[in-house]
Amino acid sequence: MSPTVVVNDVTKRFARTQALAGVTVEVSAGVTGLLGPNGAGKTTLLRILATVLGPDSGSVRTLGLDPADARDRTRIRRSLGYLPQEPGFQRGFSVFEFVDYVAILKELTPARQRHDEVRRVIAAVDLTSVSGKRVRALSGGMRRRVALAAALLGDPQLLVLDEPTAGLDPEQRLRFRELVSQAGEGRAVLLSTHQTEDVAALCHHVVVLHEGLVLFRGSPSELAQRAEGHVWFAEDRDPSARIAWRTGDGSHRNLGDPPAGVVTVPPTLEDGYLLLVGARDEEAAA
Amino acid sequence: MTWHITPELARSYADGSAAGAPSSSVEAHLLACDACRALVASEAPAGRLDAVWAEIQEQVDAPRPTWVERLLTRLGVSPADARLLSAAPSLQVSWLLGLVAVLAFAAAAASSDERGLRAFLLVAPLVPVIAVAGAYGRRIDPTYEVTRSTPYPTYRLLLLRVVAVLSVSVALTAVVSLFVGAGWMAMAWLLPSLAMVGVVLVLTRYVELPVAAGSVVAGYALAVTAMVPRNEVDVVALAESTQLVSLSVAVACLAVVVLSPARRAAFRRLP
Repeated sequence: MSPTVVVNDVTKRFARTQALAGVTVEVSAGVTGLLGPNGAGKTTLLRILATVLGPDSGSVRTLGLDPADARDRTRIRRSLGYLPQEPGFQRGFSVFEFVDYVAILKELTPARQRHDEVRRVIAAVDLTSVSGKRVRALSGGMRRRVALAAALLGDPQLLVLDEPTAGLDPEQRLRFRELVSQAGEGRAVLLSTHQTEDVAALCHHVVVLHEGLVLFRGSPSELAQRAEGHVWFAEDRDPSARIAWRTGDGSHRNLGDPPAGVVTVPPTLEDGYLLLVGARDEEAAA
Repeated sequence: MTWHITPELARSYADGSAAGAPSSSVEAHLLACDACRALVASEAPAGRLDAVWAEIQEQVDAPRPTWVERLLTRLGVSPADARLLSAAPSLQVSWLLGLVAVLAFAAAAASSDERGLRAFLLVAPLVPVIAVAGAYGRRIDPTYEVTRSTPYPTYRLLLLRVVAVLSVSVALTAVVSLFVGAGWMAMAWLLPSLAMVGVVLVLTRYVELPVAAGSVVAGYALAVTAMVPRNEVDVVALAESTQLVSLSVAVACLAVVVLSPARRAAFRRLP
C-alpha cells in the first residue's frame, strides 16, 4: 500500500531560524506520532502537510498529488482534516454554527446534507448535548473536541492533528485517545505531541524531530529498544546517568551507560526518546 | 370509541396522499387510540418516517441565522455566503459602533466651519479602508489557519468580506455626510476612498490584507501631511482632478482584480 504522504528533503526557514533542515518522512494509514521538544519543527512540518505553508525546498506528495500545484492543492484540501495547535473560534458562534462554518469552507453542500454531516461529527466527539452552546462558554477540552469535529468533516483521508491533547486533563486525554484511534481506522493520521504516553498508546509508527532534523523513524517499540540496557534503578542518582529522576517509591530511575554489575530494567518509549534527544543535545553542546 | 381508522385511510395518511379534512380527523383520533396509532405506524414507509424525523431535527437544532445573516440573505446573498460574511470581524457590532463614533466626531468637526469640512473630507476616505483592513487576515480572523487548509478559495472569501464591509462602511459614512450640511460636496471622499480600496485589493496579491490597507493608509497620511504646510489640501479633498484620477484608479484596480487569471478561482461557481 503506497504511503498517503511522502515528504522528501524538505527545508523551511523563518528569518534566522531553520525550522526544517532536510526532513524526509512517510505517513501511511493508521496513526503516526510526531515527537520532539519545543522548536523541533513539528508544527512547521504539520502546517506544510496541511497546505497552510509551502516548503523552501524539497518535495511533498500528498495522496499522490503535488501541493505546490494549485489544482492539486485544492484536491488535497478536499481530503484533509486539520486541527491546528491553537484552534481559533469565531466569537459568538455556537458549536453547531462553528462546525457548520468550517463545513461551508470545506464546500459541503447542499445545506441539508451539510447539516447532517455537522450533526454526525458533533456526535462523533460526543458534544451533541452542547451543540447549541456558545464555543466561548465551553471548557478547553470541549473546545479541542469542537476543533476535532471540524477536522473530521467530510470523512477526510488524511488527518493532521497538532498537539490535540495539550492542556487536557487525564480523563479528557483518554477520551481524545479513543477518538483519535477511531479516526485512525482506514485513514492516515499524523499526530504531533509532547506526550510519549499518547504515542505509545495510539501510534503504529513514530517520527522524532529535533532542531529541524529527523532523529528517528520506526515503531514505538523500536524507539523504546534504543534504551535497552540503559535503564536501571538505584537508591540515589547515579553519577554515570545522563538523566535521572526520583520515582514515587523513593528510588531513582537512571538513564545512560550503566556501571558494571547493575541490573537493567526494560525501557519504555519515553526512555528511548529521552536518551535519543539527550544524546543529540550532548553532541551539540560538545 | 365508535370510529376507527380504516386500513385504506391509514395508508393514505401515512404516505401523505390523504386530503386535509380526513388527515385532521386522523390526527385528532390518533391522540386517543393506541390501536390506530399502531395501524398507522405499520403503514408508514420507513423512508418517509426518516425524512420526517430529519426535517424535525433540522427545524429544531439547525442554527438560527444571525441578524447580519438574515439581512444579507434578504439582499440576495446565499445563506452559506451570509454565514461566511457574518464572521468578518469588521462586521461585528463592536467594530460598527466604533466606526459610527469616529464618524460622528468627524461630522461634528465638519459642521463647525469650512476648515472642519476639509478635515472631514481628508479623514472620511480612510474609514472604509480601515474597515476593509479588518475584514480578513492572519491576526484578525481566528480561523485563518483552518481556512487556509480548506478548499474554499481564500481570495473569494476575502473579496466577499471586503465587498460586505465596504458596503456597510460606505453607507454609514454617506449617512453621516448628509448631516455635515455641505450638500454633495460632503461626498467628495467617496471616489478617493474607492480608489484606495481598489489599490488595497490589488496589493493583496503580494501582501496580506491588513498590511496592504495599512500601507495605503500610511501613504495617504504622508501625502496629506506633506501638503498641509503648502496649503494644497484642497487639491486632495475637493479638486475635480482628484475625483477623476480616483475614478480612473478605482476602475483600473477593479479591472485588475476581475480579469487577473490568478484570481479566477475566486469567481468560480462553488459546488
